[in-house]
Amino acid sequence: MLLNRKQSGKRWHLRPDGAPKVTGQLQYLTDMTLPNMIHGRVLRSEYPYARLLSIDTSEAEALEGVYAVLTSKDVPGLNRFGIATPDQPVFCEDIVRYVGDAIAAVAADSPERAALALDAIRIEYEELTPLNSTDAALAPGAPELHEHGPGNVLHRTEIKRGDAEQAFAACDHIVTETYFTPRQMHAYMETEGGLFVPDEEGRLNVYAATQHGYKDRMQLARIIGCPEEDIRVVSSPIGGSFGGKDELNVQPYGALLALRCGRPVKMHNSRKESVRAGLKRHPMKIEMQTGMSREGIIQAHRVRITADTGAYATLGAPVLNFCTEHCLGPYAIPNVDVEGVSVYTNNGLSGEFRGFGGNQAIFAMEGQMDRLAAIMNMDPWEFRRRNMREKNDPGPLNQRILVTDGLSQVWEALDRSELWQKHQSPPADPTLPPWIKRGVGAAIAMHGAGLGYGIPDPAGGRLSLNNEGKIEVAFSYEEFGQGLIATLEIMLCDLFQCSTSDLSIIIGDTDRVPHSGSSTASRSTTMAWMALQRLQSPFRSRVLAVASEISGIPADELVTGPGGIWRKGQLPAESSEVETDVQETGKSEKEVVLALEDVNQTSEEAGKLEKAERIEVAEIVAVGNESDQTAESCLGASPYHAKEGVSSGFVVSYAELVTQGEADEWIFDTKFDYPTTPDNVVGGHYLYTYAAVAAEVEVNTLTGETKLLDTRHVVAAGPVINPMGFIGQIEGGSVMALGFTLTEDAVMQDSRYVTTNLDTYLIPTIQDIHTNLEVEAIEDLPEGDAFGPRGIGEIGSVALAPAITAAIHQATGVWVNRLPVPREQLVRPLNVPLQEGVSPS
Amino acid sequence: MSKPLENHWTAVVNGEQKHLEIAQTTRLVDVLRTHLQLTGTKVSCEVGRCGACMVLMDGEPVNSCLVMAYQCDGSDITTIEGLHGDEKGTLHPIQQAFVEEGGFQCGYCTPGMVISTKALLDAHPEPSQEQIETGLCGNLCRCTGYGGIIRAVRKAGERCVEKETSAEETVS
Ligand code: FES
Ligand code: FES
Repeated sequence: MLLNRKQSGKRWHLRPDGAPKVTGQLQYLTDMTLPNMIHGRVLRSEYPYARLLSIDTSEAEALEGVYAVLTSKDVPGLNRFGIATPDQPVFCEDIVRYVGDAIAAVAADSPERAALALDAIRIEYEELTPLNSTDAALAPGAPELHEHGPGNVLHRTEIKRGDAEQAFAACDHIVTETYFTPRQMHAYMETEGGLFVPDEEGRLNVYAATQHGYKDRMQLARIIGCPEEDIRVVSSPIGGSFGGKDELNVQPYGALLALRCGRPVKMHNSRKESVRAGLKRHPMKIEMQTGMSREGIIQAHRVRITADTGAYATLGAPVLNFCTEHCLGPYAIPNVDVEGVSVYTNNGLSGEFRGFGGNQAIFAMEGQMDRLAAIMNMDPWEFRRRNMREKNDPGPLNQRILVTDGLSQVWEALDRSELWQKHQSPPADPTLPPWIKRGVGAAIAMHGAGLGYGIPDPAGGRLSLNNEGKIEVAFSYEEFGQGLIATLEIMLCDLFQCSTSDLSIIIGDTDRVPHSGSSTASRSTTMAWMALQRLQSPFRSRVLAVASEISGIPADELVTGPGGIWRKGQLPAESSEVETDVQETGKSEKEVVLALEDVNQTSEEAGKLEKAERIEVAEIVAVGNESDQTAESCLGASPYHAKEGVSSGFVVSYAELVTQGEADEWIFDTKFDYPTTPDNVVGGHYLYTYAAVAAEVEVNTLTGETKLLDTRHVVAAGPVINPMGFIGQIEGGSVMALGFTLTEDAVMQDSRYVTTNLDTYLIPTIQDIHTNLEVEAIEDLPEGDAFGPRGIGEIGSVALAPAITAAIHQATGVWVNRLPVPREQLVRPLNVPLQEGVSPS
Repeated sequence: MSKPLENHWTAVVNGEQKHLEIAQTTRLVDVLRTHLQLTGTKVSCEVGRCGACMVLMDGEPVNSCLVMAYQCDGSDITTIEGLHGDEKGTLHPIQQAFVEEGGFQCGYCTPGMVISTKALLDAHPEPSQEQIETGLCGNLCRCTGYGGIIRAVRKAGERCVEKETSAEETVS
């Protein structure tokens, strides 16, 4: 189904965090202040690679208004962090390995004074020659950046199947190509920061963005040397992350400074600091050799991946695992020889980023497919179909995966699309000047969700009826913009036929949510759905049993509904399939926003936090909706609330129910793991999402500029729970991938960033995007599927690059193997005829 | 000899007269976020590229990270907090359109986007695609891919025009 607002009808659900965001009332964690707070700053290395000979902080300490100057000596616990491998120093002791390495931190009464204090710290370095490339780091005799060698290798991967050597010898055609992908920056609009508040009981309250509050808490406790319970991490709302805020960033410094000074400390990175210290997408070199028979059936595939993981491990190893798994694409290849290596260098930090290594792999593999098809003089889409895995084939790592029709469905849907049809006969447009060339390309992908086999991937959640008589869910997921809270609302309304005003949704606060894993790897929606599947029935039985006791009506004649329990068949929602009355929507929205305010009311929770005067956000939404008859929320119509007492089928309210029995009898917890393949292959996924993308481009061969004109994304990810969120994720992912393909590269020279801000690091603007972007969702899942909707946070970003480069080839005859697409490769003198069409140049 | 800068700063912010004792070299974004605690104005690049800090200065959109206190002394400033519908406490049609069309995700770019949209629609009540692109090219959004934003701007435009027309009708 083509996904847009019109098609979505009643499921078009207005986000409860909408009004606070568009009015500027929402306080992000970096907006928080306290009257007696001081300001923290971090001193980072002057060199990408150097020995620290001495650090003198005395002058800085003596400055007026400076409260603390900390170095490695001041870390009470482990002076290291890192989600997977804690090898990044909080403060460097003897060696600095990249320009973001922290050496000291200060807290002062103003940001300016903190900056002065940083200047007053005297450091003697012995500069060393940085390992500025993976080649330099792997060269014999290169200095080892870490003790845990061997050499500068963080991680190796390997997939071997059949006998590639022999198979290549028998192949009729072999395509050999090396692909290069850029160091992409997350470029979340809100830079890292937050507020760190020690309280009277000796606990530390951390208000800083992360994708996994519990993981931060664990790491901070390890650094501070305190029990985890002494720390509370509040971690939503977040102004974007895309994987970039999953590792600790400012938290260790804010926490240590706050504890040392006994006062709230505010940290907020400047953009330059954020670029210098923050994670990037792994730049990769992927060498591929793919051989096929005369009939165009792939027989052998050899891949060598080299990933520049930078100075510290972060998630370099899992990213390489993911890349290795995905460089085989959704194809059945009998003979496979893949090796990957992730290499330490002095080039900044590479880590987790939307797509998680899939983007690089899919760009390369799909590039091979187009080149092979061209040799066969065959339609590239048909060539893919011939080589695609069958429904029941094992996954890329030869592991068992969940069988769905997703792959063939996205293939077919794209094949049928008007945009792809254009490819067959590129329309000649006589109005275009001769140097403007147009082409259409496409790519397909299967993308694993969850962390994969052998990596702890816990999930769970809590469902309860709280004291106020609200149906409350609590998860340790985070809202960083993706619309999780709206999705949860929709799921709960669907499950209990209740209204949004009956809900209380709690996320992003370790004091209030159970341990239910992270918001990563496109997992939150699936996990929340699975948790609710498990929790709904015990919750419902309890609720209905008590309602039955109170009312004397048998439990099987009762159902949950808006406001409370109803007689079966008399549920107002069932009988009110009519258009929502605007007044009613207004009312329920109002209450929803209040519930969300509760979720995000971190500042009020903290007690005495100073805040700008809040206007009544709830009022705003209520009034806002009144003037728009079409804006309605999912089941927002709550006849119970609107016409209280009128409907005769109403039995008892949730608020009355909860007064019966002990509070804890109303709480239901579940714990489980994200589904993984039963086969023992580390990193192997079980659930996949499928996507096909077509792209039409226009290349100006005088300037080398490529403009993306039109795209179609087909995504098979199961039922669409939240259409607005779904479209947003695919559109956002697509435009991020556009940047990856055409303009984005955090350029380094001798291991120093050249592009230090958004004026030189170019993410797409509204002028650069494709004005036509269609999203088609395929919602089928096998009957009785136990895993529900699959996540789509990443799938929009993984397959656009190869579709664009295929289109560029059709337009110009140039095979692009490097991203961002080098413009100079596309510039042609006017008198040189271009070879167009799918045949190879 | 140049006159030493005085540190008395005064401006009308969201319709209210404000007086502050601050260094005249303070950036407007800090005046707003730190001194007046109007944190709806966001800060992201601090070099005038991203538009997160966009405010209206005498009706014109400016990046408040590039404006110094002395440059806006005595002017009329509107921040996102100053935008509302017919009555205070209601959503402006632009804000409402952003909510309805999914013109935001994380929301960090949104105040700046809304302010730029206001300036755009004030100048071009029925903007063409090109005018939308020119009007908003100074605002970066990393989450939405701009699709929802464009739909929101179009809808807001239609609404504002409708309102104008009906207002005119009532008057005449
Ligand atoms: S913060 Fe002012 S334009 Fe980016
Ligand atoms: S909504 Fe996140 S940057 Fe625009």
